[in-house]
Amino acid sequence: MSDSMTADASGKTPPTSAARVAPTREASAIELQGLHKRFGRDTVALAGVDLDIEPGEFFTLLGPSGCGKTTLLRILAGLEEADEGRLQIGGRDVTDVPPHRRSVNTVFQSYALFPHLSVRDNLAFGLKMQGLAAAECDARVAKIAEFIQLGDLIDRRVDQLSGGQRQRIALARALVCEPDVLLLDEPLSALDAGLRSQLQVELLRVQKRLGMTFVFVTHDQQEAMVMSDRIAVLNGGLIQQVGPPRDVYERPVNAFVARFMGHDNLYPITARDGDRVTTSLGQLRVEQAGDGELLLIRPETLDLLPGDVEGPNHLPARVVECLYRGSHAEYRLAVADTTLQATVNNRGRHLPEVDERVTVVVASDDLVTLAE
Amino acid sequence: MNKRSFRRALAGIWWLTLLFLYLPLAVVALFSFNAANSAASFTGFSLRWYQRLLGNEEILSAFANSMILAIVSSVVALAIGCLIGYGMYRHRHRKLGWLIVLIYLPIVLPDIVFGISEMAFFVQIHRLTGFLQPGLPTMIIAHVTFQIPFVALIVYSRFVGLDPALFEAAKDLYASPVKRAVHFMLPTIKPALISAFFLSFTLSVDDFVISFFTAGPESATLPIYIWGAIKKGVSPEINAVATLMLGAVAIAAIASLLFSRRRPA
Repeated sequence: MSDSMTADASGKTPPTSAARVAPTREASAIELQGLHKRFGRDTVALAGVDLDIEPGEFFTLLGPSGCGKTTLLRILAGLEEADEGRLQIGGRDVTDVPPHRRSVNTVFQSYALFPHLSVRDNLAFGLKMQGLAAAECDARVAKIAEFIQLGDLIDRRVDQLSGGQRQRIALARALVCEPDVLLLDEPLSALDAGLRSQLQVELLRVQKRLGMTFVFVTHDQQEAMVMSDRIAVLNGGLIQQVGPPRDVYERPVNAFVARFMGHDNLYPITARDGDRVTTSLGQLRVEQAGDGELLLIRPETLDLLPGDVEGPNHLPARVVECLYRGSHAEYRLAVADTTLQATVNNRGRHLPEVDERVTVVVASDDLVTLAE
Repeated sequence: MNKRSFRRALAGIWWLTLLFLYLPLAVVALFSFNAANSAASFTGFSLRWYQRLLGNEEILSAFANSMILAIVSSVVALAIGCLIGYGMYRHRHRKLGWLIVLIYLPIVLPDIVFGISEMAFFVQIHRLTGFLQPGLPTMIIAHVTFQIPFVALIVYSRFVGLDPALFEAAKDLYASPVKRAVHFMLPTIKPALISAFFLSFTLSVDDFVISFFTAGPESATLPIYIWGAIKKGVSPEINAVATLMLGAVAIAAIASLLFSRRRPA
């Protein structure tokens, strides 16, 4: 099992009960222990989640709908109460603290801007509720408006704003409160693709400049990889894997994570002999064989040679399908009695065509075995 | 029938309906300005019946009663109905079937049954405790009971129309429960509250049956006065009262409609 499997692998000792009361030295931004949450009798949203999030981290909760990621975020915000488990934010136990007393702010999926208030009053809402003097509210609002570059949006009414503008106001409204942790619940999911990638970059820059801890929820693995320092992949109310994007993508710990990160080339291992594993593709040498039951071959690590070429980890294949994408081409290949996906960068060389005989070259150090 | 003449027929029905609805009102309004004493013919324009109203103690007292009743009952109904509407919203996911029916029943209950029951109830209370002699207080209670469901329904539908995340955003942005009510909920539903107030006001001014059964000797409202007066025949004075009521109710109804449509600014 890789060291990115659990958050506790960082070598930290589990906090004692005394550590809950007083802020611990070098406290994590967020520390979760044994969170359980159930809705009604049958729906288990969280089935025991432990997690440490470091200060200043862009941390993403990634998973399909119903995996528990939104419930987890809502528990961090205080909008949902865990049935079991403890939650610390900034070294302070906030398990039983109501949301309006937590130094945490949320950017909601629907933005949730108050329709009865102007943009300016929306931005000032959190500060006013904390009892800040009007002059300081104005100064802070002006500062954040400049930082997020809201320009003349500040004097508009909320119903005059576009989706992208609402998104930025919602972000500014949460940031202006300067919380310990900012929570983002699929904040970009309502936007079209172009605006979305633009705001991804903008969000990332804001986070790096402020050095604030961000916890981001998404079901989009591309978005998660672009944005995150670390990703936690959730399924069935359990954390499947925690780690930096490259770890999660290149070294998934199980079939669920691999499939969710977009991998299709998974083959059950039928036999093993030292560093050689046998699958329906044939026998392949694997640098780090591990003890997983599945072999993962990433399509972009494969090379295609024209014709039949003999060699180690060379597999004879026939092109079944070729999707030309400009910068690269995606292949479906028939190997032995199964299929294999391969992605080939378009370097201007010959791209094999359908029914052409090719040889697939599999690099042994790019192969990963993983659990079912 | 071709499409064009079918459309014309539909338009005809529309105009005919409007005519039947508003022509009688127009006649009453017209004759309230009649110079002649009789309702048989219109002889010339005059404001004498309106002047006569101002000198009529009975009418002025009925007008005052109507206003006090309408305003006080609307304010009380607004406060209670607002709380009920919010409660219904908060617990909308639970099965509230029978409770909702109980709250809405007064809307469909025949006024006469409602009025008689209220009267019998107040008589019993008065017999047992000496309180609640028929008069303005009993009328106010009776009016509040039939106004509440309308207020509750308007407030509830306003809350249902809101993004549920707004309630969470208010919590998330450090608003305590009291601050959430003052700075988020009340301002957000303000148009609905104003609309509900004017609707309650019109319902109260309009009501005759329930007022009639719960009124005391000193608390005749305008409808009760009119009903008593027309037993002696429809005088042009009654036309003038009716026209004024029509104007007041129309203004309140239009105000209610405008505020119910207005998006919070």
